[in-house]
Amino acid sequence: MKRDDKPAVPARRIFLRDISRGAACAGAAAGAAGLLAAASADSGKPGTGSAESFPTPDYDWNKHRWAYAVDATKCIGCLRCVEACKRENNVALDAHHFRTWVERYVYIDGEEKPHVDSMSDPLNIEASGSEKLYRFANRYKEAKVDKAFFVPKLCNHCTHPACVQVCPTGATYKTRDGVVLIDHKYCIGCQYCVQACPYGARFFNHAKGVTDKCTWCYHRITKGLLPACVEVCPVEARMFGDLNDRDSVVSRFIRDNRVQVLKPETGNAPNVYYIGLDQEVT
Amino acid sequence: MPKHIARLVLLIVAFGAAGLAAKAFFTTDSFYRFGHYRADSVPEIAALTPMFQTPKACRSCHAPRVVEWSASSHKSVTCEACHGAAPGHPQSLQATIPTDTVRLCTQCHEKMPGRPLSSIRQVDSSEHHATATQCIACHNPHAPKIEAMAQKPAFDRKAVAASAAVCAGCHGENGVATNEAWPNLAGQNAAYIARSLGSFKIGARKDATMAPMAESVADDDVPKLAAYFGSLSCHAPAGKRAGNAAAGGKLAKQCSVCHGDNGRPVNTSWPSLVGQNPAYLVGALTAFKDGQRTDPFMSPVARALSDSDIADLASHFAGLGCGATSN
Repeated sequence: MKRDDKPAVPARRIFLRDISRGAACAGAAAGAAGLLAAASADSGKPGTGSAESFPTPDYDWNKHRWAYAVDATKCIGCLRCVEACKRENNVALDAHHFRTWVERYVYIDGEEKPHVDSMSDPLNIEASGSEKLYRFANRYKEAKVDKAFFVPKLCNHCTHPACVQVCPTGATYKTRDGVVLIDHKYCIGCQYCVQACPYGARFFNHAKGVTDKCTWCYHRITKGLLPACVEVCPVEARMFGDLNDRDSVVSRFIRDNRVQVLKPETGNAPNVYYIGLDQEVT
Repeated sequence: MPKHIARLVLLIVAFGAAGLAAKAFFTTDSFYRFGHYRADSVPEIAALTPMFQTPKACRSCHAPRVVEWSASSHKSVTCEACHGAAPGHPQSLQATIPTDTVRLCTQCHEKMPGRPLSSIRQVDSSEHHATATQCIACHNPHAPKIEAMAQKPAFDRKAVAASAAVCAGCHGENGVATNEAWPNLAGQNAAYIARSLGSFKIGARKDATMAPMAESVADDDVPKLAAYFGSLSCHAPAGKRAGNAAAGGKLAKQCSVCHGDNGRPVNTSWPSLVGQNPAYLVGALTAFKDGQRTDPFMSPVARALSDSDIADLASHFAGLGCGATSN
């Protein structure tokens, strides 16, 4: 090969020079546009003079701080809450997808560890006759039971939610009124959050291909209604209210009782307050 | 700086800028409004339609049941806990009337470890009237306590009898109606009289004559009037019976689930049928059949009856003596 075949300035360099010039111009233009967009977004924030209420005209999330309370001593394990939750939130009617569930702890005489079961237990499914209906089988009828109780569980809507921290797409977040929500349009179904939640409150919605969980019925509480599970609870074991209101049922519950939260050592700072649990309940 | 390094730096900056530009272009406007999420998703979630209404929604049409329920031991059990959510009811969706009441009631009332022994009545369904197929045979689900139903308010008999004089125009001085098409009230279950009167008062039951009469009765007088008529002897002259009482007796087996074997129900919220005018019974059953009167339990039963069945049943119940079981 002869040296004369090569041009004075190689084609590769011309190509690189040209595209770098083009990219620099485009970048500068886009950067300026981005700054402008950010500036205009700032001016739209509530609290900067405009009386706009978010997320709906009748409901301002800056005015509320929701919390949930469970009196496990009252729960009778009727599972009205579980059925109501499934109906209200269109959760798959089977024994594997639950936004809220109830666990039963039974201590039998002479045994150290409690027997724990919930609606997903095959014997309980058999007792209800269908995966779509839920009830606790009366299976300890003959046993000598020392102690037994039911524990309703749901998303704790933590103050420092681990699930939000691990989400790679910003599909899950904490609202200003204290609810952890999932944006189903942005969820890519990677299920990191399912792994991250210390309470097992999240599950994979196989029909939609996204992660799903309790929202404290955000569509109800923003309309002044109670979450469906609280609405149907026949024994008032489930309570819901606003911590900003000193007289709300939850504020009073926390004030009048020695309450506990589940797994406080995880540092998530849960917002579901319990009374009537044993140390085995986590 | 050597030329090739300058070009490289320029290139890195250019790619970075292109990346930022792409991000600015593809990121939804509302994404960083409040944080690292799409702010628009919040109103989207808040806009979903609630399924469960509250008892307030039921009250506008089902006032008699709501009144009865809200005074009972079941008042903490909301309508939809048993009837289920019915968004769009009544326009598009029928609310559920639970058919298997044993299954429904034992969801809370089956005795098992972990449930309270006293505050919420617990039964062992294999022992507690094990042969009964439905809990509602004895219990009114909207006011389930049998003892509460049996309670009678104290009233001044003379004073109530005076105010009952208005009723006597049609229902007779002794609670035995002056016209066979009208119901005898003597010996009727007080809880049922009170419920019926309440239904007329608020317009849930309609009748050109009874509605204005009931409206004029004060709320406090309803239970007293009910107790007064309930305390009268149910012995009434047998009315004209058109149907075949023996055939009616066979048909009446299905009625006995609620109205009792002898026409006298265990659950005093349901009407006693003994000593009732046969013509009135025919009218009432026909009204349920035609839909002029509606009741979740009676309407489907009456729709299945032919006109001759109704006549037979009426003559059967009218023929039942009330002496032995009368209070």
